[in-house]
Amino acid sequence: MTDEYGNIWTYRLKWAYTLLVVVTLMMPVFYVMFVSFNKNGQGAAEYVFTLEWYGAIFSDKLLIGALWDTCILAIIATIIVVPFGLLSAKFYKRARYKVMTVSLLLSPLFVPSDILGSALLVFFKNLNKSFEALSDWLGNEWFYGWFDLGYTTAIIGLVIYILPYVFVVILITMGRYREQQTEAARACGAGAWQAFWHVEFPQIRAGIFSSCAFALILSFNEYTRTSLLKGGYDTFTTVLISQFLNEGMSEQSYALSSAVSFIAIAVIGAIIVFTLIRSEKLERVARAKTQPVMST
Amino acid sequence: MIPPKVPAVEVQGLSKSYGSVQALNGVDVSIGEGEYFVLLGPSGGGKTTLLRVIGGFVRPSAGKVLLHGHDVSALPPDKRPTTMVFQSYALFPHMSVARNVGYGLRIKKLASRDIAERVDAMLKLVGLAGYGERKPHELSGGQQQRVQLARSLVLDRDILLLDEPLAALDANLRRDMCFELKRLQETIGITFVHVTHNQEEAMTVADRIAIIADGKLVEAGTAREIYERPVKRFTADFVGENNIFDGTLAAVDKSKATIDLGFERVDVPVDGSAASEGAPASFSVRSELVELLPAEGALPNEIQALNGTYDEAVYLGLTISHMVTLPNGAAVNARSISGAAENLKFERGQPVRVGWAMTAARLHAS
Repeated sequence: MTDEYGNIWTYRLKWAYTLLVVVTLMMPVFYVMFVSFNKNGQGAAEYVFTLEWYGAIFSDKLLIGALWDTCILAIIATIIVVPFGLLSAKFYKRARYKVMTVSLLLSPLFVPSDILGSALLVFFKNLNKSFEALSDWLGNEWFYGWFDLGYTTAIIGLVIYILPYVFVVILITMGRYREQQTEAARACGAGAWQAFWHVEFPQIRAGIFSSCAFALILSFNEYTRTSLLKGGYDTFTTVLISQFLNEGMSEQSYALSSAVSFIAIAVIGAIIVFTLIRSEKLERVARAKTQPVMST
Repeated sequence: MIPPKVPAVEVQGLSKSYGSVQALNGVDVSIGEGEYFVLLGPSGGGKTTLLRVIGGFVRPSAGKVLLHGHDVSALPPDKRPTTMVFQSYALFPHMSVARNVGYGLRIKKLASRDIAERVDAMLKLVGLAGYGERKPHELSGGQQQRVQLARSLVLDRDILLLDEPLAALDANLRRDMCFELKRLQETIGITFVHVTHNQEEAMTVADRIAIIADGKLVEAGTAREIYERPVKRFTADFVGENNIFDGTLAAVDKSKATIDLGFERVDVPVDGSAASEGAPASFSVRSELVELLPAEGALPNEIQALNGTYDEAVYLGLTISHMVTLPNGAAVNARSISGAAENLKFERGQPVRVGWAMTAARLHAS
């Protein structure tokens, strides 16, 4: 307890409230996991434990294909959006008009997802027509179909959606980095890229990896824009939602959803535990080595 | 005929503005090879901006930077023959001391063995032999600055820029590091350009000092010239503890000028500065050259005096500052060594005279 004069019961109440919020947020995930082990499926009177639905995941070609497409979209969107977010954060730190810069970079957050998706849909249709007109003028088909609904348009929609989040995560991490270190590297003869790679990147690496994880999760989660811009294939989210709205989620869907959730929680949990253990170990080593500070 | 030496650093007509703020305004400075040159001035005066322009971290709005006679104004910092020590937080926290010091050599792609040898030699030079495996956070402030020095000096560049390198250190450590910096500079023989707002630091290390204020070069000279014979009023006001007297020029001839303070007239030696009668004028006298005299009685030869009222004595350890108020309300500070007999002579409110030899006064151009 950090406030030594505070009431112990207030402290306990705050912790209890926090746990209640976490349990509320995680309850649907645990419920899905619970259902995924039931031989009789969701809503059945009798619960019979089974692992067969996990084995049956790969027999659902539609679901596996959708998961595969979702993973491809997520990875490509992450590869594009994280460098964009990093460059945006570096630009913001040097920008003269910071309020205007941050407003522009966060502006996609202020547009509802269905409106942004619809606007992009219309935009891509018109862009396609313009490119086709250019092709016709050049007398070839080079620019035909560049912005047909599909991977390209879905990825662009994901990048626009995810960029503000990645920008904020990286900017927060860069808050602890001192620009003087980049200048010191330049004074030692390093070029701009060398100074970034050798000096800045190792110190903001954690934020960049966090933003990668965030971008992957947001891509996985995205429905509205992607459903409008994806074209003829399915993503994991669109399959789950269409199943849910029509015939109900299949048992394989429950199993695969649980597996994906479990893997995500396990990976992030492992990273957190590893980081805590490592940081505790480094603190112990530093305490053992550090001499009392005195004049030299 | 011996050709004139090319200055190590020369800035010509340098200006830098940030929007409506003029950080530097037409600055001209020339620094010789192997010189320890200090840029001294109040905070916000433009000395750090000037240093950063020389280092290539700031692009000037106008003017040129020449290093060894070559115009480097368009070059980035890694392409200039300069290196820099920063005030603080400039060591790479994820690298050991040895890797910090050897960073520039790795950029140059030297062989590992050469890097290790040069790093060890440089750590020994700065008094940190055996500290190679430590991390920056395990070092004291003084040790961190030594590592920065080692990292800069190991590159064998001939111009080292230091941006308030001792500002984060306590007074004792700062004094020790001043002597250390001077020793290093004399041992290695390269040009140091050092920015500080601390006068004692400047006077300890500098071969020459330039006073920078309000984006302009006010005055430049050796430490003795700046301290004992300041030309500009600002310099007299900023360096040392000078008493500044403002008045109008009542009369002037070849050897002296008479300044009318309103309640008294005082003679000041003239060193050829052009001035016209009736113009505003000011002069200064160092506080250690002002002596306290009884209110009545004959004045010693060559001594000029002003009547005033004794206020108080402030004990400062080595010296005691005696504060006297003049009839026009201005305060005069007379400093004497603690323990001297005349320290005990006067009481608060007692009429007294403050006097100085005429030659101790300096007439100032604005």
